[in-house]
Amino acid sequence: MGSLIDPFLDNEFMVRALIAGVLVSLACAVIGTYVVLRGMAFIGDALAHGVLPGVALALLVGLPTLLGAALGAGVMIGGVGLVTKRSRLSSDSAIGLLFIGLLALGVVMVSSSDSLGTSLEAILFGEFLGVDDADLVIQAIAAAVVGLVALWSARPFLLLCFDRDQAKVMGFRADAYHRLMLVLVAGTIVVSFQTVGSLLVFGMLLAPAGVGALVARRVGVMMLWAALTGSLATYVGLLLSYHYAWAAGASVVLVAVAMFFVVLLVTSFRSRVGAHA
Amino acid sequence: MRWLRTPLLLLTSMFAVAACGGRDETEAGTRIVVTHAILGSVVTELVGDLAEVTVLVPNGTDPHDWEPSAKDIERLNDADLVVANGLGLESNLDEALQVAQEAGVPVFRATDHVEVLAGEPHDEDGHEEDAHDHDAGDPHFWTDPQAMLDVVDALATELDSIGIGGVEVAAFEAELTALDAEVRSLLAPVTDRRLVTGHESLGYFAHHYDFDLVGAVVPSLSTDADATAADLADLKRAIVDAGVTTIFTELGTPADVARAIAEETGARVVEISTHLVPQDGTYRSFMLRLASTIAAALAP
Repeated sequence: MGSLIDPFLDNEFMVRALIAGVLVSLACAVIGTYVVLRGMAFIGDALAHGVLPGVALALLVGLPTLLGAALGAGVMIGGVGLVTKRSRLSSDSAIGLLFIGLLALGVVMVSSSDSLGTSLEAILFGEFLGVDDADLVIQAIAAAVVGLVALWSARPFLLLCFDRDQAKVMGFRADAYHRLMLVLVAGTIVVSFQTVGSLLVFGMLLAPAGVGALVARRVGVMMLWAALTGSLATYVGLLLSYHYAWAAGASVVLVAVAMFFVVLLVTSFRSRVGAHA
Repeated sequence: MRWLRTPLLLLTSMFAVAACGGRDETEAGTRIVVTHAILGSVVTELVGDLAEVTVLVPNGTDPHDWEPSAKDIERLNDADLVVANGLGLESNLDEALQVAQEAGVPVFRATDHVEVLAGEPHDEDGHEEDAHDHDAGDPHFWTDPQAMLDVVDALATELDSIGIGGVEVAAFEAELTALDAEVRSLLAPVTDRRLVTGHESLGYFAHHYDFDLVGAVVPSLSTDADATAADLADLKRAIVDAGVTTIFTELGTPADVARAIAEETGARVVEISTHLVPQDGTYRSFMLRLASTIAAALAP
């Protein structure tokens, strides 16, 4: 038992990483479930990469990276809206354009500046083991805000997932709620990228929510499963990083994705057995 | 980003080679291209006005985060001599260097001329014995002026062979020897000779000046590796057990991680420049600044 708990008792940085991971998991469980149900993974991925030039800009002019990331996400969402409105391009083409454009801009900025003081790796993969108390507070506030907004707009969000027209009939402004959902996705990524990195937060957005979608039918239950999966993945991933010297953030996401496939195997096996019975 | 680099590089090198097919032979002056700034400062001091020296990776940029521009590749292929560090420090330039070399540009690799130290053998628990050390050798030779002297010696011969004679090697070597003595006396009062660094960058320094490397935040010769919980726990234990008071961070060190470890162990974080040439652009002031920062931080 010692080897499962002691690493956390002996090391504050492990405890902070665990708390940060659980908080990220909570926010990602709520938002990720909508991302999975509505097929918004690509915009999520694009946001996760698109914040790069914003972060680089913030570092160059000395602003908080959170602001820069928010700016990057804003340009991303605004740009996708603009392209889909003004052209016949589908939204995934628009997302792709903005995504690669912003990513390239970020790489150009990082590699041509001589005073950035951070690395691409640090932005993309975060500093999971260097989370401080201020990061935890921000992360907790973000999780609470995401939870409250999702609760407040649970009904229109649900209708958006399954029947967009029905949402309109019932008097909800579908576009407005779609945009609100995008803002929540962006907000979750922007806040979480500092702890787990922008690429890994994307993994935490998808994999646990994927598990939820496999095992549950009701949205609330899916979110619960997603939160549990994400938290468990954080714990197991950190232990693997501790005992086997694996890169911390990557281990956590790896465990989450592995859990998805294990659950997928189990559920497909059970449904086959069920069909025969 | 890693996966993007190789194809991009090959592409840009091809363009560059194509573009400079008709090299302008009439342009006067010998062109020497140096990959990084510290090596650049030494080459500049050595050749003076005898050649035009260009440094590729800007001073203060982590070479692992830098990517060559098309212009850089052109410079590389137009050079009369390329001075590189070797041992994986210029990992983003390897393909381009090879292309240039195959096209007939002489490439001088500094680490071919020093007694290469292996990376620190990794910790006693046995994990990651072989994991992330690149070409199985520590590239950071420049933290030891004596090793730099060996390089300068070999470089003088190389310069001679491309037609730059009359370099005042002896004077410069005497300067390096004096610098070595000066650094040694700067460090003389330091009794606590244990170092914890950002990545494993002070191997030669420690070897030459008789310091003990206790550990690193990212125990790798490269800043590319990510921090792992195991490494941090080991480092924390090592710091506490040995009673180390200072964690030296550098360019590319995950700052938040270093701060977290410092907070937990009661050590303090002091920044050192292991890859940055000071304002006046000389190797001498680089070495003196590195040594005096370390001496001041570890002063009894």
